[in-house]
Amino acid sequence: MAICTGCSLLCEDIVATYENGALTHVKNLCRKGHGHFQAAFTERTVPMIDGEQVTLDSAIAKAAEILKSAKSPLLYGWSNSTLEAQAAGIKLAEKLGATMDGTSSFCQGILMERILSGKIPSCTLDDVRNYADTSIFWGSDPSSSHPRHLSRFSYYPRGEKRQKSYEEERTCIVVDVRKSATARLCSNYYFRVAPGGDAEFMEAILAVLEGKIPKVGDKKKMIELGSRLKKTKWGAIFPGPGMIYSLQDKMELFERLVAKLNEITTFKVIPMVGHYNMRGFNELMLEKTGFINSVSFKGGAAVHGPEHSAMAAAKTSDAALVIGSDPLSALPFGTAHALARLPLIAIDPRRSLTTDAAKVVIPSAISGLETGGTAVRMDGVKIKFEPIIDTNLLSDEQILTRIMEAI
Amino acid sequence: MAAEVQVTIVTVRDIFQDEAGRKSRFSDEYKNLSALIILDKQDMIRLEAKDGQKLLVKNDVGSVIVAARTSEDDMHPGLAFMYNSPWSNQLVSDVVCEGSIPEFKNIKATLSTTEENMNITRISELQARMQS
Ligand code: SF4
Repeated sequence: MAICTGCSLLCEDIVATYENGALTHVKNLCRKGHGHFQAAFTERTVPMIDGEQVTLDSAIAKAAEILKSAKSPLLYGWSNSTLEAQAAGIKLAEKLGATMDGTSSFCQGILMERILSGKIPSCTLDDVRNYADTSIFWGSDPSSSHPRHLSRFSYYPRGEKRQKSYEEERTCIVVDVRKSATARLCSNYYFRVAPGGDAEFMEAILAVLEGKIPKVGDKKKMIELGSRLKKTKWGAIFPGPGMIYSLQDKMELFERLVAKLNEITTFKVIPMVGHYNMRGFNELMLEKTGFINSVSFKGGAAVHGPEHSAMAAAKTSDAALVIGSDPLSALPFGTAHALARLPLIAIDPRRSLTTDAAKVVIPSAISGLETGGTAVRMDGVKIKFEPIIDTNLLSDEQILTRIMEAI
Repeated sequence: MAAEVQVTIVTVRDIFQDEAGRKSRFSDEYKNLSALIILDKQDMIRLEAKDGQKLLVKNDVGSVIVAARTSEDDMHPGLAFMYNSPWSNQLVSDVVCEGSIPEFKNIKATLSTTEENMNITRISELQARMQS
C-alpha cells in the first residue's frame, strides 16, 4: 500500500504500479491523487543556475553562497515537505537568522492557531466516521479539494455508531457563496451566503439557536437549520478558505458559534487544510518557536508578526528559498513580482512558475512516491510513509542538510 | 462601445483544473481550464457574450484576457467565479491591512468583450510580467 500526498487526507490505501516510467495500475486514488501520481514522470526539474543546467553539487553550493551572503533571507513553502525536512528547515533558518513562513499565513493559519491552542475543540477524522451525524462544510468543497473526504470519513462510510450512514443517519450541510459540487450533493441543506457574508450568517445561526428571529436568510430555512443543529448528536464543522477569507479578523465569532453549539450538543472542528503537511509545519513551528508561522530568527530569538509573513518579507528580503511550493502561481501578483526579483532558490521536484524564475533550481524527490518521511494529516494524526519508486534524487531533508553544511 | 459589467470575482477550486495543474502548469489543458471566468446568465446577456467569448477582466491591480463560461448555478448576477490560478492572481491586490489575508475571494473587476483577434493571456505573458 502507498500513501497519497496529493492532499491533507493522506489516504493510506493506495495501490499503484509503475512500469517503465509510467503509472500502469492504480486503485483507490481520486482524480486529484491520480494527477499527483501521474505527474511523477512529467516536467521534472534538473539542477540549474541562471537557466543553465549544472551539477547538483554546483546548484547546492550556489544556493549556500546566496543564503550566506544575504542579510535577510526568506525561507518559504514547507507545506509539501515532510516533518523531517521542516525540522531541517528550522535549523537552517536559525543558523541564517532568516524569516520562515509557510502557506498557512495565507489561508488556514488563523483558525489552526485556535485549534492548536485548544480554543476551538477538534477531533480526528476517524471520530467523524464513527460518530458524526451532521457534517457542515463551510466555505469548503471537499468534492473538489479533498475528493475522498465524503467517502472515507464524513458522509458515506459506515462508522461504529453510524451503521445507517448517509441513507438515514448522516446529514451534510453546506454554507458557500456558490452551489459547489458538494452543495449539489447536500442540496436540502445548502445555504448561499454573499461574499463576505459569513459573519452575518453566523450571527443568524446564533440568533436561531437562542430562539430569536434571524436577521438574514430565509427565516423558515434558518429555523429548520437551527432545529437540525439542535437535534445533532455529534457534529463536525469543516471550514475551508471561503469561511476564513470572509471572516478574517472576526474569527471570535466562529469561536462563539462553536461554543454555543457545544452548550447544546457536541460539535468539533477540523480545518480543511489543503497541502499534505501544512498542519505538520504549524505544529512543529509551534513546538520549536511558540508560533505556528511567520517567524523571524534575526537576532537569535524567534519573533512572530505579520511583518514576517511571506507577503511582507518578499518585499524586505534580499534572497529567498522556496521549497515544494509555487508562490508565483498561488500568491497575488505583487508578491509574485517581488519574489521574482530576488535571487531565488527553488527546491522542487517539478517545473513551476517559481522554478522558471529561480536563479538556482534544485531537484528533489517527491514525498510519498520517491522518498519516505512523516506528515500530519489535517486532523493532527501523524502518518509515516515509505517510498514506492526508486530514485537517485535527494529528499528535501537531505538537500537542506547539504546546504547547511555548505554554509 | 462594448458593454462593461462590474463584478465581484470569487476564486474557487475545480478538480479538473487542479489535476491539469499537477500534470503541467504550462500545458494548453491547464490554460484552458484556468483562463476562464464563470458568469451569471444575465451578465452574459449584458455583455452580449457567448460561451468561449474572450473577455478583458481588469481592475487597479492588473488585467487578463480569459474565456467566458455561463454558470450552471442559480442566479448570481454581479458575482463571477474564477479558478485559483496565476490568471486570477493577476487581479488580487497584495496590499492588505496588517495581518489580513489578501482578497482572493472578493476581487472587484470590470469585464468587457475584446476584439476577435485578441488572444487569451498566455502563461508566458504572465511570467514575463512577474519577471519584469
Ligand atoms: S483524497 Fe487527497 S490524499 Fe486521498 S487520494 Fe485524493 S488527493 Fe490523494
